[in-house]
Amino acid sequence: MEVSHSVKERTIAENSLVILLQGLHGRVTTVDLRDESTATGRVTNVDAFMNVRLAEVTFTDRQGTVSRLDELFVTGRNIRYVHIPDEVDIRATIERQLQAIHRVRYFGGRDKGRKEFPRAKHK
Amino acid sequence: GGAMSFLKRFPPPAEGVRHQQPDTEAVLAGRSLGAGTLYIAESRLSWLENSGVGFSLDYPTISLHAVSRDLNAYPWEHLYVMVNAKFGEEESKEAPMPEGEEEEDDSDDDAEPIAEFRFVPSDKSALEAMFSAMCECQALHPDPDDEDSDNDYEGEEYDVEAHELQQGDIPTFYTYEEGLSHLTAEGQATLERLEGMLAQSVSSQYNMAGVRTEDSIREFEDGMEVDIAPVVAGQFEDAEVDH
Repeated sequence: MEVSHSVKERTIAENSLVILLQGLHGRVTTVDLRDESTATGRVTNVDAFMNVRLAEVTFTDRQGTVSRLDELFVTGRNIRYVHIPDEVDIRATIERQLQAIHRVRYFGGRDKGRKEFPRAKHK
Repeated sequence: GGAMSFLKRFPPPAEGVRHQQPDTEAVLAGRSLGAGTLYIAESRLSWLENSGVGFSLDYPTISLHAVSRDLNAYPWEHLYVMVNAKFGEEESKEAPMPEGEEEEDDSDDDAEPIAEFRFVPSDKSALEAMFSAMCECQALHPDPDDEDSDNDYEGEEYDVEAHELQQGDIPTFYTYEEGLSHLTAEGQATLERLEGMLAQSVSSQYNMAGVRTEDSIREFEDGMEVDIAPVVAGQFEDAEVDH
């Protein structure tokens, strides 16, 4: 799971439901936009401001015209709704993200002793 | 006529330019504005035609951007940028949007003006870099009108220490017992949480240097062996005690 490198962003995420969206990393999700267009694609990033980045996107504009976009970045302010996939366990996802944040914040190696992280951020 | 009236002459941005793409055509609502250079700068997105006129877009007005390689939708690979503003009449440089656009009033098309720009670089391989640069710059402009403006979380992870130390300028060291009494409720909760986490991790597998697991502590309960390291809860004592 992706955890922001920024203290501020981690704290914002921890205190809002953005943390749930961040747990959707890698999943195909549909985002409804404020202007009634929709974008369906694989979540590649969600930041603390709910800016969402999607890959391999099917985009339906507000007139209903469908097109494909390789990558899409939509600002949080323009998102009306994010469809959480049915198979996602919301509670488990939130807990997992919180654990990831706490691992980064506190003991880096608390779970692994001297083993290396698969994705070592430091060193 | 009048569609180009928003084009103005201005110098290219000098600071914070994350990406610059020459030989890029700008298209607004399907109409080409010519060939020029796209400047993806931290303060704004600018495009300048080779003749020196162009326009800028403020990031708060940009609702989304994307890389389009779908030649059925548009015959050239390009960077698509959707803007929450009307173009063709007057360019809004400073004010993000005219009145009324802030409302969630989008049952009516007119209440949600949209301008669609396409930036078509002659070098298609640059699209990734252009897209990424825009993502980075967008992230620098979070929405100030965010309802959830409780986002005053600057450095909260460090605030606990600040509270604890707010009496003195110079941090003093406390013995474990003294320190406990100086903890705020917040600090106390944090300490409990940290100790809990440490207890969990310690009791699981490894002997970290100098720390005894729950098991090994029990073994020596009859006092046979002096603890090299204190029990879990006092693990921090070594670090804090000022001799």
